[in-house]
Amino acid sequence: MKPSMQRIDEATGRYLPVIYPEELPYWEALKQRRLELQRCKSCAKVWYPIGPACPHCLGLEFDWSLMSGRGIIHNFVVYHKAWTPWLEKRVPYAVIQVELEEGPRLTTNLLNCPVDKICIGMRVEAAFEDVTDEITLLQFQPNTG
Amino acid sequence: MTGMAAPVIPRTDANLTEAARAFRDKTAVAGVGLTLGKFPERTALSLAIEAFKLALDDSGLKRDDIDGLITLSFGSDYDRFLEATGLNVRYAHQGWTHGRFISPTLQFAAMAVGMGMAKAVAIVNGKRGKAFGQPTDIEMWRQGLGPHGESPAYGALRPAFGAAISAQRYFHLYGGSNDDLGPICVAFRKHARMNPIAVRRDPMTLDNYRRSPWIVAPLRLLDCCQINDGGSCIIVTSAERARDCRKTPALISGMQGVHAGPDYHNLALPGLGVAQQNVYNYTPSADDLYSYRMAGITHKDVNALITYDAFSPLVLFALERFGFCGPGEAREFVKNGRIELGGELPVNTSGGLLSEGHLSGWNLLIEAVRQTRGECGERQVKNAEVVQYGCFLGESLIFRRAS
Repeated sequence: MKPSMQRIDEATGRYLPVIYPEELPYWEALKQRRLELQRCKSCAKVWYPIGPACPHCLGLEFDWSLMSGRGIIHNFVVYHKAWTPWLEKRVPYAVIQVELEEGPRLTTNLLNCPVDKICIGMRVEAAFEDVTDEITLLQFQPNTG
Repeated sequence: MTGMAAPVIPRTDANLTEAARAFRDKTAVAGVGLTLGKFPERTALSLAIEAFKLALDDSGLKRDDIDGLITLSFGSDYDRFLEATGLNVRYAHQGWTHGRFISPTLQFAAMAVGMGMAKAVAIVNGKRGKAFGQPTDIEMWRQGLGPHGESPAYGALRPAFGAAISAQRYFHLYGGSNDDLGPICVAFRKHARMNPIAVRRDPMTLDNYRRSPWIVAPLRLLDCCQINDGGSCIIVTSAERARDCRKTPALISGMQGVHAGPDYHNLALPGLGVAQQNVYNYTPSADDLYSYRMAGITHKDVNALITYDAFSPLVLFALERFGFCGPGEAREFVKNGRIELGGELPVNTSGGLLSEGHLSGWNLLIEAVRQTRGECGERQVKNAEVVQYGCFLGESLIFRRAS
């Protein structure tokens, strides 16, 4: 996998994530159906968004650490307006912020759940969506287990 | 508030630095220029130059009296503006266009004048609503999240995302719903109907508001400002010099900066738990109210509040940010005309970004100056001696009418 500045999938019109150089281990793990985030070697805390230093203690040494993938919906909104043609077929769709068991909050979508069933506090688990041959996007879905 | 006796201003405060004590009321806005509307045939530079000339006329200053210039990105850059206007300055600066940087920019101008680095600084902005050959949309793809929390791959698009997700947490923590935002939008529309240059002037009732379509729930269309074209210029000089200008000086009495960091998501009140924010009931600390201390006042002395309202929930956040009401109380505070002209605390008397128009907030600052001068006609707040431009991220300017 390589860094990528391609912002739009020409085939579908879908917006893609820009892949920054320091993020390659995150994207490679997602492709293997694993959620890995940086864990500080000094204070053992996990952080997000991905960045070169631990925002808790400013440590520079870290490991890519496997997350449980479990969390709760901490926040959500529902888009009724489609700002791109690709999204026109998807409204209404939700954007959620999930609080992982490990602490950080991630901004994603919620799969396999009607928008009117979403509530703050709902238990969710990581899901993985292949959006191109290269890129797998982290998603979440209701945790029924 | 309105109708109260003029505040007693303590002239000494042991907690202020010597420079801050000396700075109070020593610089002023001496001239403003503003255009708003649709000008598809014009460039940002042409709108900036028109506003510059309007502000020069307003102040009575000449082009060559201006020896400082500040611009922000996404308009005409400072060097091109100077080249096009034949102006040489000894203080030039350019920052990043976002509403949150409007009042810090005016603060830079005041500090440059106060420190003697320039005698008169013009802050100039020209704006095309639909950016013409400029890269604003690319910001969404910066590493981490966009400047309003955007994440394009997940369809988390546009600044409305940040405001909607903040409103959702506010309602979750404190109760209430979208319905609590209607009174804000209706109040500002009433104000806009007294403002000849406002771009949204149709009458609006709470029923109209409730019928407006969802954009990003919990926000409706009428919770979001529109984008338009326009130009603005604000000229800052010493209070002494401003007294020789055409209009009553709006003295710069107190100021404080943008509070930023993980606890200050860019469209949220602290404590809401948006993105990585901690969750708690926010009440302002002494540092959060520094501009009042610098000006020697409290929030009770503020006759009118002008606040950044690109989205209606930001008004709730600003009211709690400065202690006009307690945590979770703003949604009741805004009801029953309290924030309307004639109410206890008139807010956004021009109609705000929601109804006057969107010029990154420059038009809000200009309204604060005009209210301080007392030149707003039908929408003038009576006895507006002290006007605050204060926003949900903590940035604040206290303007005082020169006696």
